[in-house]
Amino acid sequence: PSSQQTQNRNAILVSNRQKGNPLLKHIRNVKWTFADVVCDFLLGQSSCALYLSLRYHLLHPDYLYYRIRELQKNFKLRLVLCHVDVEDVVKPLLEVTKTALLHDCTLVCGWSLEECGRYLETIKVYENKPADIIQGQMDTDYLSRLTHALTTVRHVNKTDVVTLGTTFGSLSNIMGASMEDLARCPGIGERKVKRLYDTFHEPFKRVE
Amino acid sequence: MVLQFHEHIITELLEDSNGGLVILSSGLSLSKLVSSLLLLHSSSQGTLLILSPSSTTLKSKINLHLKTLNPQFYQIPAEITADLPAHHRHSLYTSGSVFFITPRILIVDLLTNKLPTSTISGIVILNAHSISETSTEAFIVRIFRSLNRNAYVRAFSDRPHAMVSGFAKAERTMKCLHIRKLHLWPRFQVYVSQELERDPPDVVDIRVPMTKYMVGIQKAIVEIMDACLKEMRKTNKVDVEDLTVENGLFKSFDEIVRRQLDPIWHTLGKKTKQLVSDLKTLRKLLDYLVRYDAITYLKYLDTLRVSESFRSVWIFAEASYKIFDYAKKRVYHLVRSDGVKLNESSKGIKNKKRKVKGDNKDTEEADVTSSTSSNHGIVLEEVLEEAPKWKVLREILEEVEEERQKQGMLREEVLAEGEDTDNGIVLVACKDERSCLQLEECITNNTKKVMRDEWKKYLLNKVQLRDIVNKKKKPKDPKGFGILDGVTPITHAQNAETSGINKQEHDALLAAASKLRNLAESNHVVEDTPQADSGGHARGKGKRKLGNKNGPIIIDGSGVQSNNKEELTGGKIGMSDSKNEVHTSETSPVSAGRFCETKHGGTSADDMVLRRHTCPDAVARDGKPLPPVHFYALESDQPILDILKPSIIIVYHPDMTFVREIEVYKSENPSKRLKVYFIFYEDSTEVQKFEASIRRENGAFESLIRQKSMMMIPVDQSGHGLGLNSTLDSDSNTPQNSLTRKAGGRKEVDKDMQVIVDMREFMSSLPNVLHQKGMRIIPVTLEVGDYILSPLICVERKSIQDLFASFTSGRLYHQVETMVRYYRIPVLLIEFSQDKSFSFQSASDIGDDVTPNSIISKLSLLALHFPRLRILWSRSLHATSEIFASLKANQDEPDETKAMRVGVPSEEGIVENDVRAENYNTSAVEFLRRLPGVTDSNYRAIMDGCKSLAELALLPVEKLAEIMGGHKAARTLRDFLDAKYPTLL
Repeated sequence: PSSQQTQNRNAILVSNRQKGNPLLKHIRNVKWTFADVVCDFLLGQSSCALYLSLRYHLLHPDYLYYRIRELQKNFKLRLVLCHVDVEDVVKPLLEVTKTALLHDCTLVCGWSLEECGRYLETIKVYENKPADIIQGQMDTDYLSRLTHALTTVRHVNKTDVVTLGTTFGSLSNIMGASMEDLARCPGIGERKVKRLYDTFHEPFKRVE
Repeated sequence: MVLQFHEHIITELLEDSNGGLVILSSGLSLSKLVSSLLLLHSSSQGTLLILSPSSTTLKSKINLHLKTLNPQFYQIPAEITADLPAHHRHSLYTSGSVFFITPRILIVDLLTNKLPTSTISGIVILNAHSISETSTEAFIVRIFRSLNRNAYVRAFSDRPHAMVSGFAKAERTMKCLHIRKLHLWPRFQVYVSQELERDPPDVVDIRVPMTKYMVGIQKAIVEIMDACLKEMRKTNKVDVEDLTVENGLFKSFDEIVRRQLDPIWHTLGKKTKQLVSDLKTLRKLLDYLVRYDAITYLKYLDTLRVSESFRSVWIFAEASYKIFDYAKKRVYHLVRSDGVKLNESSKGIKNKKRKVKGDNKDTEEADVTSSTSSNHGIVLEEVLEEAPKWKVLREILEEVEEERQKQGMLREEVLAEGEDTDNGIVLVACKDERSCLQLEECITNNTKKVMRDEWKKYLLNKVQLRDIVNKKKKPKDPKGFGILDGVTPITHAQNAETSGINKQEHDALLAAASKLRNLAESNHVVEDTPQADSGGHARGKGKRKLGNKNGPIIIDGSGVQSNNKEELTGGKIGMSDSKNEVHTSETSPVSAGRFCETKHGGTSADDMVLRRHTCPDAVARDGKPLPPVHFYALESDQPILDILKPSIIIVYHPDMTFVREIEVYKSENPSKRLKVYFIFYEDSTEVQKFEASIRRENGAFESLIRQKSMMMIPVDQSGHGLGLNSTLDSDSNTPQNSLTRKAGGRKEVDKDMQVIVDMREFMSSLPNVLHQKGMRIIPVTLEVGDYILSPLICVERKSIQDLFASFTSGRLYHQVETMVRYYRIPVLLIEFSQDKSFSFQSASDIGDDVTPNSIISKLSLLALHFPRLRILWSRSLHATSEIFASLKANQDEPDETKAMRVGVPSEEGIVENDVRAENYNTSAVEFLRRLPGVTDSNYRAIMDGCKSLAELALLPVEKLAEIMGGHKAARTLRDFLDAKYPTLL
């Protein structure tokens, strides 16, 4: 049974309710298996998804609400995967949007079963992936990285980075600089000095 | 002097104090019309605001005309932008002068009541054709009218065809600008035509025959276009009436097609999409055929083939083979080294193949007469076909100069007096800057040299490319360099068969190129050429000379070249004939005499606008003197005629707008003798396009006249219902009935919903639409989010394009991060465009694997990292406003002062409402997380292991490794902290 469990951990657990959903044909990059789950798709330890076709929603406008109500609160990410399969989308989509938003669900739209399937696969595959691909490509050279770090301090600009660098010689020196030394740098006014100093010297955690 | 029909327009316009919409033919000098109107403004009427046009040239033209019309008192209207402080803006608004103002600041000042509307006499809009119900201009007028009924709104457009795109565009535009009167001023209007035709300039219409190959290429392209259009008709997705080759000649064709296809774009097959882009490519090919020289054209085709191959449909069409083949033949062809021309045009491919083999054998035995390269015995023979117009241009210039000298002598005899403002400059107008430069070269040097230089560039380019290709992917597929083969393989099978000849051609090209390169290098030594007058000049000539002496490959000399030409054109269409085509009334005896070099310094202020050019050296080679010439690129859109005041204009690339400008110029200067030459390629699409553009404009006006007669404009256009709770407009825009029924009808609006909107959002149309829906818009500068709907709900709006871009830049991630920090319900609004398809991609574009670049992956990752983020998917602006209204229904109204403070640290650096900030030194945490070696998984451990950044800076690497749980990451971090800052800066 333990091997079964580990296997299940790498698979999407699909509710028996979804038997016969043509969407399942498009989940190919990840294993999936039927299981007794409340949500439609259990995608990870703390994420789950409900599937809704807009056409179905038009026939059963209350369906989504009741399904969301069944979900336990212990999921961090509650996805409503909406298959946009009608021409006139504005009204039904507005209703779905409102229901999802007011009941703490993240709405994702797919325009084909392929696309819907891909969302499920991706959320599963990326379960533990860091966010770096959406955090912007950063240049990896020293100066860019230094600028990237120092400009987190409000109002510190690129020129200031150069000033600080040439004055103190290294980042550790900048981080250890006194208020006075910081204030001696041209272009770094009183407020910037204070912000820099506080950033470096105030503890990470204000309360223990 | 002011044109009479301009006066007519102004009088008509002034009759209605409410304002009006003026549409006039392009080229009838909208800028002058507006300038004359502005001069009538007096400060007692109140302040006049002109919405800044997006084209800066229109603005500078208006300024220039204001200056010339009224040199004593002219005052260029100042520009009001967001950079001016509010109190300064206020004093300008009440000054009674004329200003340009950016729409964004105007709408913000209107919404915040910073603009005292009673002091405004009127608003002038210069781009009526680009206005729609949702544009900021419409928003401005709606609010402005609600506050001030007496002011006028005057809108202008000189793009009639843009005023008829879409259903009843003119009427809709008038409605949203609250204008009652439409004034149409086509070129064929009686006042206009009378005035412009009273004293028309002398026009010489020259039809230059194209070369045989040009004709062939043009025919092939049109054939393929036609085939593409037929294919398109089969799809039944586009209105068949629009699908004509004539329409296909214009840029607006893409628009016609896209407008119909955009909403269903994602449902289209790859083939249809490809057809659309192919048609665009083909139109360019047609245009470039008459614009570029033969070599540049070939180069363009080469790059096209590399970038388009295997995707395009057209490239595999039977006729496209001809395009490539003819284009090549205009530049070079292959001959066996014994001089026998290679017969390529034969259709039997087997024959060809055999023949080539034969050649190979021959040459192996004979071991080639010629030098370096070809052990295959195939050498290149240059053709370097010149553009037929070049010669004609030179002839005209020579003729003009003869004429001028004759007259000059006469004038000297008679009297040297009289206001001779004639500076003698000949204006040559062509499409783009590139053509300008090349024609200038052709005139100063000579055409052969120009072609030779292009050829040199072409060959050298090939060598470089070869070098690169060799280095990069040698083992891959030696025959697949696409770019280097001259002949298009039609199918793979044929490709295999023809590869033999391609390879030879290829080698011949490379041989020629490397020869050239060697020459170029050796030429650096041989520096002292006799003609050395200027650096670049001398080098060019030197090369030529050397090329002359050795190298049977580079066959130089006019002799060979003209022979080739005879051979090619069969002597029938030879350029020498073109002289006969020039129907000129005056033929003047050659009068040898002084070369007239006029330095014209008359127009001081505008010098920077112009690229001056006189060509004193032009006599040198041909012995015939040429007048000073100025080349002007139509694309640059300068008031060239007013600045230069030419008396002879050569229109090298005919253009309707420019023709009108010439007419206007002539009727403004009736005493001036003006002669205009048009150079057309006979039976070309150039002519077709020129004529079609006139027909098209006339058609647009006829349609506008019909529309005008049937227009339903409410009498009280400035009337009621314009207030904040305007229901008239919003009703028509909200097809949402059932929902409003549920929510108890329109009552919700009465609550006076308000939305706080970031200043920067006024570039978009959403604030306008929200206002139409009846919400109060409060513009402020927001640090976090774009729209604040309630104390809990903060929305970041992204159009599709923005969404992709801000995912790539990482901006979205950080925006969401701060929203999540400060608001209970952070929302990402993904807003699709009404007239584009509602989807990211069609099913076929999705691919088989999970890939990091896909938008699906990025959105998934965003959702995973910010599970609290809510996503809105909106079909259109109007759908967005519906969603906003329904989300606000049960929420409190947002507070403006609070919203502004969110995310902005106070003096102490503490950020209000920041739950995290109470517990964490947020900027230190942020800083820490951006250091190399620090990751999502170890930064918490670091915060546990040391107190502050200052402390971290002192930790030795061993200790860091212990805290971070890894030596490598610790090393990375330590190295970065200690890295010496590069001093050489």
